[in-house]
Amino acid sequence: MKKTALFLGIIILNLSISGCLSEEIDGDTVETPEQYEWVDDGELVIVTYDVYGLTDEMISQFENESGYEVSMLKLDDAGSVLDHLLQHKGLQIADLAIGLDNTYLQTAIDNNVFWEHTAVLNNISESALLPYNGPFAAPFDQGYMCLNYDTSIVDGENYTVPESLWDLTNEEWKGKVAIPSPETSSPGRAFMTATTDYFSHDDDNQTEWTDWWSAMSENEVIITTGWSEAYETHYTGGYGEWTDGYVGDAHIVVSYCHSPGVESWYNENWTKSAALDLPRSAFHQVEYASAIEGGNLGAASAFIEYLLSHEVNSKMPIENSMYSVLEGVDLPEENGYRYHSIIPQQTAMVNSTTIANSMETWLEQWNTAMVDA
Amino acid sequence: MKMRVASIFALAGYSLLIVAPLYLALDRLVWVAGFDPYAWINSLNENYITQGVIGFTFLQAALSTLFTLIIGIPIAWQLGRHKWPLQSFVKSILTMPFVMPSIVAAMGFLHIIGPAGLNIRVDESTWFTTLIIAHAWFNMALVIRFCEPVLSTLDPNLEQQMRLLPAGRTKFGRFRNLWAPLLMPSVAAAACMTFIFSFTSFALVKWITLGDNTLESVMASVGSSAGIKDYMISRNEIILGASLIQFTILLAALWIMSWLQQRRQSLLPQASEAIVKSANRKGWLIIGPGLLFALSPLIAVLWASFRVRHTDSTGTTYTWETSGWEFAFAGTNSLPSGWDALANSLGYAGLTLIIALPLGWVLAQTILDVEKQRPRLARLLDILTMLPFAASSVMIGLGVMLGMIRIDAEFFYSFWPTPVFAHIMITTPFVVRIMLPALRSISPEYDECARTLGIVAWRRFFFIKLPLLWGSILIAGIFTLAMSLGEFGASWVVTRNSDWTTLPIMIDSLRSIPYNTTYTAPAACAISSVLMIITLFLFTWAEKFRPARDGGMF
Amino acid sequence: MLECKELSKSFEKELFTGFNLELKPGEIIAITGPSGCGKTTLLRAICGLETLDSGTINLDHVDITNVPAEERGIGLIFQSPVLFPHLSVQGNLLLGDENGDISTALEEVGLSGFEKRRVESLSGGEGQRVSLARALLAKPKVLLLDEPFSSLDEDLSEKLVQDVRSILKKSDCPAILVTHNKKIAGDFADSVISLSN
Repeated sequence: MKKTALFLGIIILNLSISGCLSEEIDGDTVETPEQYEWVDDGELVIVTYDVYGLTDEMISQFENESGYEVSMLKLDDAGSVLDHLLQHKGLQIADLAIGLDNTYLQTAIDNNVFWEHTAVLNNISESALLPYNGPFAAPFDQGYMCLNYDTSIVDGENYTVPESLWDLTNEEWKGKVAIPSPETSSPGRAFMTATTDYFSHDDDNQTEWTDWWSAMSENEVIITTGWSEAYETHYTGGYGEWTDGYVGDAHIVVSYCHSPGVESWYNENWTKSAALDLPRSAFHQVEYASAIEGGNLGAASAFIEYLLSHEVNSKMPIENSMYSVLEGVDLPEENGYRYHSIIPQQTAMVNSTTIANSMETWLEQWNTAMVDA
Repeated sequence: MKMRVASIFALAGYSLLIVAPLYLALDRLVWVAGFDPYAWINSLNENYITQGVIGFTFLQAALSTLFTLIIGIPIAWQLGRHKWPLQSFVKSILTMPFVMPSIVAAMGFLHIIGPAGLNIRVDESTWFTTLIIAHAWFNMALVIRFCEPVLSTLDPNLEQQMRLLPAGRTKFGRFRNLWAPLLMPSVAAAACMTFIFSFTSFALVKWITLGDNTLESVMASVGSSAGIKDYMISRNEIILGASLIQFTILLAALWIMSWLQQRRQSLLPQASEAIVKSANRKGWLIIGPGLLFALSPLIAVLWASFRVRHTDSTGTTYTWETSGWEFAFAGTNSLPSGWDALANSLGYAGLTLIIALPLGWVLAQTILDVEKQRPRLARLLDILTMLPFAASSVMIGLGVMLGMIRIDAEFFYSFWPTPVFAHIMITTPFVVRIMLPALRSISPEYDECARTLGIVAWRRFFFIKLPLLWGSILIAGIFTLAMSLGEFGASWVVTRNSDWTTLPIMIDSLRSIPYNTTYTAPAACAISSVLMIITLFLFTWAEKFRPARDGGMF
Repeated sequence: MLECKELSKSFEKELFTGFNLELKPGEIIAITGPSGCGKTTLLRAICGLETLDSGTINLDHVDITNVPAEERGIGLIFQSPVLFPHLSVQGNLLLGDENGDISTALEEVGLSGFEKRRVESLSGGEGQRVSLARALLAKPKVLLLDEPFSSLDEDLSEKLVQDVRSILKKSDCPAILVTHNKKIAGDFADSVISLSN
């Protein structure tokens, strides 16, 4: 018995000591990032998450045209991509990161994980360059996050269509709203960011955005790990009801303003889902491709150029269910894709620097709001 | 003399292998989060994603343990006290779930309760019950393995004598004065093990109860942002808090376990060949459902791999197709093919076997060698070799990941065998557990006798010791292979930053494919079926070599 | 030919001190004494399975005190037969001598035709006969017997005592028997030493 206690004691003691020691040692090495000359090894390693636009045909065409050999490291979500970049900074594992959006991008840039890419880009729409217009990232798709509701249930009779976010804190919406967690998913972050703007512009000066989240927490809002769990598992208005694991307990969900259009595109011009256009509750999301510091800059830039070529990028609405970033390319009209999609009248206005500087604070505040409710 | 060198090497290697990654990981986490155990544990209550996790982990582990005993003990009783046609076959089926990869079990139960099965998954309140039942499915083998030998080899004289004593005239009296005290250490040991496995459950929790987390699954989900200076500090605190609680609880459980195991050895009654067991028709009411229970998730997996969903305006239909299998084995740029995953899995399992088996063997021999002179040291070594159980596989995965980033990330990321480090850490304790009783059961007279016949050391090893241990070595080896093939938690953490996808990880990725593809379920089940069939094959093979009455744990 | 000088050993208590013995070629000696007096330990020390506290053992005028058991050329028959369960009778005998004449060896101990038998199927007496045959195949310079007859019933042990004695005499193999049974000691050995506490 004594020996075990001693043994444990040693382990814990070691930890405490080493905690202090390594701080000094690591402190030095981490603070000074090493610089690499880039070498063309003929390979392109892409770190990404489930970005559907990166189809097999598209990748093989790039391989054939450019001669680079492409391999992909697929992580769970955009957050994991950022984690990977920070954790493996300067280790030359991957060359190109695809899928960070404007809620994550600035943090990555501030941590010096990217190199300036050398791709020559043409015809990028102004709106796509609005959140970020610089050399460290190229936008490749975009969309608007907003609330979607099931029109077959939220029909004005059984449920009233919400006219403000506060309506969702009413008894009738108890346990019926699904929102992906801002801690773990980029749609969740985007929506949370929008709420900071929404509640700083509402008529009410007494309450903050965190009060709304506390009220939602009390109203048993369903917080999910990622978008797909919210939309497929919980939302009654989408294709989720045809998938395995469907639960169907939420009639309102955070998704894209064009999600009903995507539903319609796949269901021969039919959908029961609609986007809710509340001013400042929608968030303009842009997703980026960036060359990673220390990687194969030539290959990364070549891929960015390819990804933004008219041939590839104009297919974004179909291949990736997102808007293209090119000027003059809209959603197709077939099957009611464009008809069922909305462009919000007024999106939340929060610039990237504010997002980067405030995100950790917001997440802490959000956490406190949810826990203390 | 040579044995001592081997012992020291094995101990040093093992400590380095087990302690180094855990040390590096903890060191890194402490570097980010600061050394404040109170804050670590507190962070679990202060964060929305981890709120209630401690309570949930304890509750589900306790209920799982209870339910496992409730279904396990009657089955063990029937198996031990009565005669069954194809006795060993029946026992094999009932104990097989324990070696099944947890991700395969998760897929099986998902399909039993899913839309093509009982269709009760739409009701969220069924998830928790499903988790408890799945844990019981997984662990009932432990109750059977621990209790059945006690029941089946008890000298009938003891029971007959008890009948003639005043204290044993009634059934209850015999239960209270004979069976309960005899079975207690075994039942408690099985309960201890079940608690440990349920406490650290990951794959089942990840897939069955979507909203709820155990400490283990929380560590996995926040693990990707661990160890980055000045970034998401609360995540590091969460991991430290969760692992501190886990480590303490599991170490305590293992300590009790080790103590119970010794009591169990001494209480294990002498084998008696005189036992004539009676058949028991009513017992089929227990054995029958037991067999069905053991087999149903596996049948569900195989079945679901051929059922492809079609949805159109008229509704949903399922058809028999092999397209799920084709999809799983085709491979795309973003998803490796089933063949790649199979090759990786087999490669890792083989490498793990080559290293973990001799390592575990030498460690077991070392414990045995010091047992006589220094029993306390032996006990300490015994606990040390069980340490990875207490660290849990996700923690081991984080250890390997953070460890390799610290040591030489570039090398390890291009080094295909990297995940093997984690597999060795996880399988070696099992090898020790299997080899220890086997080595103990060999009488030292065999070796002494051979020496007086003038047989030299290496020949004694190859012609006497090796053949005598052969059955246990095969079981340990096969078990190592099965464990490595089915390993999920650590691989999930280590391999997601690489393209070394293994079968269990591929099942997880296939099932995670969102979007409207009809292949998500059948393809995940196709790979699950492959893993299941390999495991079944290994298990039936191992059963052939199991000694008739091994005091071992698995 | 075997010479033990001043052998001493204690483990928790004193087992034997200053034990002396001289064994001539072909001679059979019995050592008797109550159980727990260290007879077994003495035999195990002579064949090298135990270390001595002090004293020397010479075999054919060579000091073998520190020679490992497998190189001493001294055979030992255990109290209950030690037969390897993974080998047949023949396999067990081949451990004594890889090129040995198995059928003759079995014939000598009265077990002709037992080659293919599994060791679990042997009775206690048969088991001891196989052990003896195996020990003799190894051509030991001295054979030690540790109460090999004690687990057998009286009739059987009497018969075995006579058989083993004649086999040993026939092969001219010197032997030391330890037993607590004075009658067996007298029947078996040329001379008897009594070991007291």
